[in-house]
Amino acid sequence: MKLSSLIISMSAALSITTVSGNAYAAGDTVPVKAMADALHLVLDSDRTIYTRKIVNRLVKKEKVIKASEHFDDDKALVLPAQMFRFGSELVQKRAKKLPDVNFSYSLQSIWPINKQNAPKTKAEKDGLKFVADNKGKNFYTEETLGGQKYFTAVYADTGVAPVCISCHNKHKDTPKNDFKIGDVMGGVVIRIPIDG
Amino acid sequence: MIHRGVTSSVYLLLLICSVMPAVYAADNSLFIKFKNEDLINGRNLWIDNCKGCHAYGTAGAPIPMLSDEWKHRVIKDKAVLYDHAINGFFGPDDTMMPERGGNENLTDRQVKLAVDYMLSLAKHYLNKQSN
Repeated sequence: MKLSSLIISMSAALSITTVSGNAYAAGDTVPVKAMADALHLVLDSDRTIYTRKIVNRLVKKEKVIKASEHFDDDKALVLPAQMFRFGSELVQKRAKKLPDVNFSYSLQSIWPINKQNAPKTKAEKDGLKFVADNKGKNFYTEETLGGQKYFTAVYADTGVAPVCISCHNKHKDTPKNDFKIGDVMGGVVIRIPIDG
Repeated sequence: MIHRGVTSSVYLLLLICSVMPAVYAADNSLFIKFKNEDLINGRNLWIDNCKGCHAYGTAGAPIPMLSDEWKHRVIKDKAVLYDHAINGFFGPDDTMMPERGGNENLTDRQVKLAVDYMLSLAKHYLNKQSN
């Protein structure tokens, strides 16, 4: 069964009530948009906490260790974006052993330093452009790839630390060198298979 | 058959999703144009250097249009706000305000003008709420 069509198999007496008053009862299907938004909320919150409680606190505030793109050589912390990518790669690997879990996510940009992180599908390209042009809004669409239909969501990824901005602006492979703090630098793409 | 671990995850995700705030999409008309010349300059500086985070709550930046986020800030000594904006600041949850909003080319005077504008904007929305 695909993640998008998971049915909540709680006991009959148990329902899930949200703050807004919506309730998911036993037997309900989770809306795919809600699933994508929830996945993104968890991913973004984990990354935010890593940035604040590990990087900001130890690198900027306490100054006891560095964070570096070359973390092995520099014996440093991984950058928050690298932590996010490593998580994405591990999810892909582990999900192969879980047939009920079928989704993917990635960090992409229309101005990638590494060309592998450029959008490939039309939905990715449209979504990354949309979130860059419409700050504060998410992008949702459906696309068919290899005969499989997917729900694809794109969420803005914003540069919030001077080191993110300066590294991207000064990197020899960057296609854009005028980022400012608060600019959308890319996006998180979440893709979930759907029926039909 | 549904994988038990996934089902638990779905339960947790739904609970978390339920407390997710609406995405805040800022509109330029929300950034009031005051008549005072310093505040006009401050608005331009704020839009160029501060809006990117403060208009959207990015990285925990307090949004001046949301009264709850500013009612305890507008009563602070202005010197404290200037100091935080010029020299940077770590919040209680390890949020980080970068020095000069990350633009090292801004002078102290320019940063203070931007702070003054944001304070005026916050006070405008606080007054609007109380009326």
